[in-house]
Amino acid sequence: MAKFRFHWALILIGLVLGLMLSTQFRVQQEKVQAATVKRVEQLALNVETARQERDALRARVQELRDELDQAAEEVQLGELRSQLDHVRMQAGLLSVTGPGIEVVLSDSPTPAQPGQSPNLFVLHDEDLLKVVNELRASGAEAIAINSERLVATSEIRCIGPAVVINRDRRLAPPYTITAIGDPDTMIAALEMRDGVLATLKVWGIQATIRRVPEAVVPAYTGKTTFNYAVPVFEEGGS
Amino acid sequence: MQTKYLSIAAVTVILGLLIGLQVKLLKLPEPPAPSPDRFTALSAELKDLTRENEELRAEIEDLEAKVRTARQGVQQAEAALRTEIAKHLVFAGLTKVKGPGVQVTLENVPGGDYLFAIRDEDLLRVVNELRAAGAEAIAINDQRLVAFSEIRQAGPFINVNLERISPPYRIQAIGNPDKLFRELERPQGIVDTARIVGVEIHIEVCDELVLPGYQGRSRLEYARPLKEGV
Repeated sequence: MAKFRFHWALILIGLVLGLMLSTQFRVQQEKVQAATVKRVEQLALNVETARQERDALRARVQELRDELDQAAEEVQLGELRSQLDHVRMQAGLLSVTGPGIEVVLSDSPTPAQPGQSPNLFVLHDEDLLKVVNELRASGAEAIAINSERLVATSEIRCIGPAVVINRDRRLAPPYTITAIGDPDTMIAALEMRDGVLATLKVWGIQATIRRVPEAVVPAYTGKTTFNYAVPVFEEGGS
Repeated sequence: MQTKYLSIAAVTVILGLLIGLQVKLLKLPEPPAPSPDRFTALSAELKDLTRENEELRAEIEDLEAKVRTARQGVQQAEAALRTEIAKHLVFAGLTKVKGPGVQVTLENVPGGDYLFAIRDEDLLRVVNELRAAGAEAIAINDQRLVAFSEIRQAGPFINVNLERISPPYRIQAIGNPDKLFRELERPQGIVDTARIVGVEIHIEVCDELVLPGYQGRSRLEYARPLKEGV
C-alpha cells in the first residue's frame, strides 16, 4: 500500500514540475515576442522622425531656391533667372500651372469571385506606369500622382499594398494623376478603343477623367544631385 | 482503502485544473506578433529616408553657399545662378553625361512570332526597374529619357521622344552598376519573366557609358510657373 501511495506522489510531483516548466517556457516566449514588438515600435518611431526631418529639409531647399531667385532679382539678373525657371520647369523642379486633366483611378469595388485572384482587381504599379506613359505620349508637360511630381528619374513601384514613387513617397489609393497639357489630346489618347483605360475597366478598375482649366502640378522636392552621372561638356560648345 | 480514493480524487482535481489552465492559456489572445515583413519594410524605409536626408543636407549646404555668393555682388550672383542652371540641366537630362552603369540589350528571337515581339511595355518595365534601382540617367537607342519622354508602341515600331527606334533595343543606364545589375537579374524579376516569354535579354556592366542629352524640342506650351503671392 505504501508503495502504491509513493507512486501517486511521484506522478503528482511530475505533473507539477511539468506545469511549472511549461509556464516558464510560455513566459520566456512572450518576453521574446514583447522584445520584437518593442523593436518594431521603436523602428516605426525612428521612421516617423526621419520623415518629419525630411519634410523640413525639403521645405528648406525650396526656401533657399527662392532666396537665390530673390538675390538674382535684386541685382537685375532677371533674364538669367527666367532661364533658370525654364530649366527647372523641364526638370520638374518648379511648381507649374496650366490647362490639363485629372485622372482618378481606384481599385475595383466588386470583390473577386471565388476562384478569381483578388490581385486582378487591384491597381498595380504597371497600370499607373501605362497611364502615365500614355499621357506623356499625348503631350503632357508636367505630371504628378497624388501631388508627387514625376521627373526623369521617377520610378513607380508596388511595395505591399502601397505604391511608392520618388524613392520614399508612399501613395495610397485612390490615385489622382494630374497632367498639364492639351486636355483634348490627352483625353482622346486615354479613352482610345482598346486603350489603356479600356483595359483597366475590364478588371473593374474605376477611372474618371476631369478637365481642369488651371491644374497645379507641384515641384519635385527630392534630391537633385547625381553620384554617378557627371556632365560632359563638348569642346567649344556651351 | 479510503486514502486510495482520496488520492485518486486529488489527482483528478489536479489533472482537471491542469487541463483547464492549459486550455485557458491557449485561448488567451496572442499579442499581435509583428510580421517580419513589417520589420523589413520599416528598416528599408528608414534606410531610404536616412539617405535622402543626407542628400538633402548636402543640397542645402550647396544652396546656402550659392545664396551667400549671390549676395556679394552682380558678378557673384551671375556665377551662382549659372552653376545652379548647369546643375539642373544635368538633373533634367538636357546635357550629355557619362558614368558607370549597365547596358541592357533586348532582342526578338529570330524568326519568332510577332505576338511575342518586344513591346513598349517591356521596355517601360525595364526602364522602371532601372529607375527603382537608382538609375540617374537612361537612354534607349541614344534617346535620352527625360520627365516627359514616352515609350510608345506605334504599329510594329516603338517611339521614344517621338523618334522611331528599332530592335535590338539598347537601354543604357548610369548608376551603381552592381545594384542595377542585381535588381534586374532578381529571380522572378522582370528580366527573368521576359526571358521565359522568349525575349533575348543581355545585361552588361559598363565602367563608363556616355549618354546624350535630350535633343527634342522643349515641350512647354501649356505649363507656366506657379508663383505664390504673384
